[in-house]
Amino acid sequence: MKQNGNPPILQIRSLSANYGDVIAIKDISLDVQQGEIVGLIGPNGAGKSTLIKVLSGVLKASAGEVLINQKEVSTYSPGQRARTIAVVPQARQLGGAFSVEQAVLLGRTAYLGFLGKPAREDLRKVAWAMKQTAVDFLADRKLAEISGGEQQRVLLARALAQDTPVLLLDEPTNHLDLKYQVNLLKLVKKLVKQEGLSVLMAMHDLNQVSGTADRVALLANGQLKAIGSPEEVLTQENILQAYQIEIDTFTHPKTNKHMIFPTE
Amino acid sequence: MKKTILLINLLIVVVMVLSACSPAAQPVTVEPAAVEATEVPVDVEPVAEPTPAPIAVTDDLGFEIILAEPAQKIISISPSLTEILYSVGAGDRLIGRDSNSMYPEEALAAADLGGMWDGIPVEDILALEPDLILAGEIFAPEAIQELRDLGLVVYWQKNPADFEMLYENILVIAVLTGTEDIAENVVSSLDERISALDMKLADVDLIPLVFYELDASDPANPYTPGAGTFISFVINRAKGQNLGDGLEGTWVQVSSEALLAQNPDTILLADALYGISAESVAARAGWSEIKAVVEGEIYPFDPFILSVPGPRLVDGYEQVAEILHPELFEE
Amino acid sequence: MKNRPFLVIFILLGLSFLLSIALGAVTIPPGNVLKILLNKLPWFELEGIWPAYFETILWDLRLPHTILVTLTGAALAGSGASFQGLFRNPLADPYLIGVASGAGLGAIVVMSIPQAGRYLIPIGAFLGGLGTIAVVYRLAKVGKIVPLTTLILAGVAIGSFTSALTSFLMLISDEMILQAMSFLLGGSTVTGWEPIAIALPYFSVGILLLVLSGHSLNVLQFGEEQALQLGLSVERVKIFIIISASLTTAAAVSFSGVIGFIGLVVPHIIRLVWGGDYKKLIPLSILGGGITLLISDILARIVMAPSYLPVGIVTALIGAPFFLWILRRAKKEVFW
Repeated sequence: MKQNGNPPILQIRSLSANYGDVIAIKDISLDVQQGEIVGLIGPNGAGKSTLIKVLSGVLKASAGEVLINQKEVSTYSPGQRARTIAVVPQARQLGGAFSVEQAVLLGRTAYLGFLGKPAREDLRKVAWAMKQTAVDFLADRKLAEISGGEQQRVLLARALAQDTPVLLLDEPTNHLDLKYQVNLLKLVKKLVKQEGLSVLMAMHDLNQVSGTADRVALLANGQLKAIGSPEEVLTQENILQAYQIEIDTFTHPKTNKHMIFPTE
Repeated sequence: MKKTILLINLLIVVVMVLSACSPAAQPVTVEPAAVEATEVPVDVEPVAEPTPAPIAVTDDLGFEIILAEPAQKIISISPSLTEILYSVGAGDRLIGRDSNSMYPEEALAAADLGGMWDGIPVEDILALEPDLILAGEIFAPEAIQELRDLGLVVYWQKNPADFEMLYENILVIAVLTGTEDIAENVVSSLDERISALDMKLADVDLIPLVFYELDASDPANPYTPGAGTFISFVINRAKGQNLGDGLEGTWVQVSSEALLAQNPDTILLADALYGISAESVAARAGWSEIKAVVEGEIYPFDPFILSVPGPRLVDGYEQVAEILHPELFEE
Repeated sequence: MKNRPFLVIFILLGLSFLLSIALGAVTIPPGNVLKILLNKLPWFELEGIWPAYFETILWDLRLPHTILVTLTGAALAGSGASFQGLFRNPLADPYLIGVASGAGLGAIVVMSIPQAGRYLIPIGAFLGGLGTIAVVYRLAKVGKIVPLTTLILAGVAIGSFTSALTSFLMLISDEMILQAMSFLLGGSTVTGWEPIAIALPYFSVGILLLVLSGHSLNVLQFGEEQALQLGLSVERVKIFIIISASLTTAAAVSFSGVIGFIGLVVPHIIRLVWGGDYKKLIPLSILGGGITLLISDILARIVMAPSYLPVGIVTALIGAPFFLWILRRAKKEVFW
């Protein structure tokens, strides 16, 4: 946990949102510091994706506020918001005909203006983002022709090119082979440290969360059930309540990470 | 557009009833007691004496028609035959007609059997119990055969190609209705008018190029009659050159480009009834350069006069001649 | 050829344009065609002997006709490409999603009001097209997205309905209006400069707006959610594109009737050869649409001379097999 006396970059206060009559998230409050990765866990339908949608402006909040760098973002235009929050979605809906470079360039949409003409600065950022994520050698390849792991890295590059203080990742390791999963998470950690990003990352695999996130936030039924270090949150009791399965915990002898395993 | 072409074909096929400007004939009233006309006095007295000899006529499809006596209940499904029927004084025997048979006005009293485009209304015809049906060239032999198979007597007439054939067409209808004497007078008076006109035109050597516009649904490519139509025949006889003769086909479209190239001297608007006027013609793209438009030689023309191949064709001849060569008619 | 798309397309367009002007019912030697056209420019006074009506034919008949055909093809292909991008649907085309038929209905309604001048026709078409796309969109939407199947179904249904209304209106009108409407059955034999004068503002504005939408359409290819997250004002852009594409379609339909296939096939062909970047795809489709309709119109005029086929038949006849051929070739490459 990195506390440095400065206020958190991302502040979520009593945030609620619904889909019609169904309450999706209720009264969620959490902070993300600069240079911190907060892992967002919870069973399906707990509200992880909804939270990300509200934060990125796709869904409107019914109550509460979101502050980035102490500024309320609910009134931001899509362009303004895109310069503060970037999202790395799952590699599902892709404009497959675009080249990697074209796709990453779209990350600069908020800066490009109506005609989409890139300035030198935009191209520089794109080149940098592609290098950081090691997809620069794929620059001219079409998105539909590269592997799933590479596609996910391209989406990460696109989000990086967006040049925002806050980064949201929506279950980025889903559908990826183990090797790519591990590499992606390592890459995220490295970039966060390097660029001082504030990251909220929804994740499926509880052990992976433990190894990647500084803090963990557990959602269930749209509410925040627990937040703290992996050891504090990934307890038998919390997991039983949220996931309804019995687990046991231990500390990995080699990595010293807090791990869980089901006992049923 | 299709409507118009069909109409014209229908009209061409039927022989017209003589119009009011013909001096001699008056409608003959024949008594319903089915009398056969043999001799009818020139100044029109009804009644003829019964003759036992049957009427035998071969129609233009080669079919022989035998009537015991002159037809009394007649249906005409082509305007030309309606007009011819009235011209020979047998118009009062008309009990049914197609909807395009609108001349003379008296014809409107007969039952309207519809437009014939969806086929001949066989049931309605049977219900009227006619003893003779007159049909023009537009009807296919198969359709006629259908009527004959039902026991109906049908006379099918081809369009005339010239005035002589027109006379024959009139005379044969007169035979079927027992009004030969009236018909002979009608024919001879028509012939007189034609000869007089032919003589008047004999010395004409300036032959204008005439564009006869039938239909301008597509104003850039209007329809005009080609060679082999009676319209062409009349125009040429009236010492004009029918522009459509140079094109292939009977009812042809001519492009604006071709019209500009040919540059007709006179335009006859047979579609004036549909709102086409000299102004609207001049407004068409490119047409303002055509000679007829420049010199204002654009004339509305009654489409039924030359399109219904009956006695009014002679009126048509006179009208066209007067338009093309007005100097001959100044009295 | 792959590297200079605009050069290639412009050359093809120029050739098609000249060919269209050079051909017609009356044979005019190509040398004379060029001379007569150039003489219209202030710097030229070329010598030659030709009958006066050559000039009338070229200037009053063929040139405006060729220009109208080019603009119509451009408009149809441009709006087709835009609809495909907007709905992320390869079958979107102004005819298939009902916009063209709706525009036709709007045009006919205006034409059946005798007091309305010809200048109001494109406005009627625009309102008709816009109204139709609003209805189709509403019907086809499932949650937040517009799936392929429902869009085409709704488009065909509404398109058929508006076509039927249009036919009905034409049947109950009297002869004069019938003549005015006859071209709407898919012929581009309307002549003269008047239709161009009337429709040119709609063509130019519509086409310009579509060209400007290229970047926005690119962003939309990742879905509306990601587009929003990337910073695009999605709702505003959608409305902008729908209005622009409807305006362009309306201009095309106003004087040329409903012509199918151009809006579907041309963008696909461009896409197969030069990729799916809408910043290039839209302008290239616009130019390609002009070429395609010019060629179709030439064929429609000469194949059965002196009669002419309705150009819509030709576009279907050449469009379909051509598309299939290109599709076979490019199966390996991803183009969508």
